[in-house]
Amino acid sequence: MSSLAEHFHTDWAALTVNDWIGLIVTVVVSILMVVAYVYVFHPANREYLETRKYIPLDDEDRFETEEKK
Amino acid sequence: METTEKYHFDVVRWFTIMAVVYLVVGTLVGVLIASQLAWPVLNFDIAELTFGRLRPLHTNAVIFAFGGCALMATAFYTVQRTCGVPLWSNKLAWFTFFLWNFIIVAAVITLPLGLTQGKEYAELEWPLDILIAVAWLAYSFNFVMTIAKRKTSHIYVSNWFFLGMMVMITYLHVVNSLAIPVSWFNSYSIFSGVQDAMIQWWWGHNAVGYYLTAGFLGIMYYFVPKQANRPVFSYRLSVIHFWALMFGYVWLGAHHLQYTALPDWTGSLGAAVSLAMIIPSWGGAVNGMMTLSGAWDKLRTDYVLRFLIMSLAFYAMSTFEGPVMSSKTVNALSHYTDWTIGHVHSGALGWVVMVAAGAIYHMVMKLWNTEMYSAKLVNLHFWLATIGAVIYIVAMWVSGIMQGLMWRDYDAFGTLSYTFAESVAAMHPYYVMRAVGGAIYWLGGAVMLYNIIMTIRMASATRAVGAPAKA
Repeated sequence: MSSLAEHFHTDWAALTVNDWIGLIVTVVVSILMVVAYVYVFHPANREYLETRKYIPLDDEDRFETEEKK
Repeated sequence: METTEKYHFDVVRWFTIMAVVYLVVGTLVGVLIASQLAWPVLNFDIAELTFGRLRPLHTNAVIFAFGGCALMATAFYTVQRTCGVPLWSNKLAWFTFFLWNFIIVAAVITLPLGLTQGKEYAELEWPLDILIAVAWLAYSFNFVMTIAKRKTSHIYVSNWFFLGMMVMITYLHVVNSLAIPVSWFNSYSIFSGVQDAMIQWWWGHNAVGYYLTAGFLGIMYYFVPKQANRPVFSYRLSVIHFWALMFGYVWLGAHHLQYTALPDWTGSLGAAVSLAMIIPSWGGAVNGMMTLSGAWDKLRTDYVLRFLIMSLAFYAMSTFEGPVMSSKTVNALSHYTDWTIGHVHSGALGWVVMVAAGAIYHMVMKLWNTEMYSAKLVNLHFWLATIGAVIYIVAMWVSGIMQGLMWRDYDAFGTLSYTFAESVAAMHPYYVMRAVGGAIYWLGGAVMLYNIIMTIRMASATRAVGAPAKA
């Protein structure tokens, strides 16, 4: 067995329930991160996302006071 | 025409005022304990005033009293403005305010009396832990419900950061505080040994990651664009910044336990993810700074903006320094030394307080519908804070590296070159320097408190003579 294969060798039978939960959470989170990157940097979503950055600058008209009813 | 306030801002005003009060009090205790390390006579042989009792009081005051009030003020302020609706429940917000402040008063009483769980950044005993959970859930639930009834279709990124903080801190606080009570003022953690240490630092580092970083990034993403009157440089980058931070930060705690009983791979994993976190952290810092792209001249005249941009420089610096210190090679030198204290304070004084100060100045002007009493005093505060922080950090860097080198130096016979006492004596000048830097920083906070009190008095006087109030 090459040293690289030895380095990445995993004794799957030895994994406890905690190990499996951790492994599954890690893989799911990694996949979700890839999904987030693809969604955010897809050119089709650029305009939708970038127009949202004006939200804090547009809130003046929603602010301050209103007439008492 | 009689007008009424559209949003619930009274509770925001009080959280804002209390944040500044706690900043001054918390950093004053910090200056005292820094001075005690330089001049031990200042412990006065009174148990309640010794370093060991006051150090947790300092950390709780600055993190939970100042930081908590700043986060609650800014979250309640920004969620209303970005969602276009008042808070879901004004009464619940006031309940949060009074309960949070009650907890702070209880901490001021119990910690000097030595009533502590002995868990770092989670010292308060179990009855107060339960109250913290109640106050935090009330704060979070009100925030979530306000978002739920928003008039806008999109949830602005600052709200995502606040939400992330609320979710993560809830379960971090609950799990870390699990304990068996044996009396009203004594309890024992349900964890033991290395598991207890791992849970402690899973909480400890994530309190930094989600409370002092994610929460304050929520502040940054609203107040930097607002104060600069320019949209954030890249909204897409802010989205990636958010998700990478949420997914990545939770792994880091193990890097606090390098070279301990913790399995070696756990520390390596913590260090590896720490290094990876430089990318989103710097992405966020650059995103904030580049918001000023093409308008850097604003920094010449806008003193509030200076706080916000300087905070991002410190954020970038500490999020580079932290991962470097987590790597095993550097950690072998830095761990248990003052370098860690310097790192923590570059984040706390440089990033957390600076960004909060910028936001608080901005909010005070909006909430009281006035300019600051003195722009020169804002500028004075900025320079006192910057110079004070730099003196503090540099002192701890030099002291820490010197400590690490002295502790591990040995001679040709394999015996240690220095005794521990010799390293303590060598640190004295730097402890004096740290106390001076801290005092300068505290003075800046006192100037801020004075300026804000005078601003509120000026606004109240103007309103009293009949000028129409807007906010």
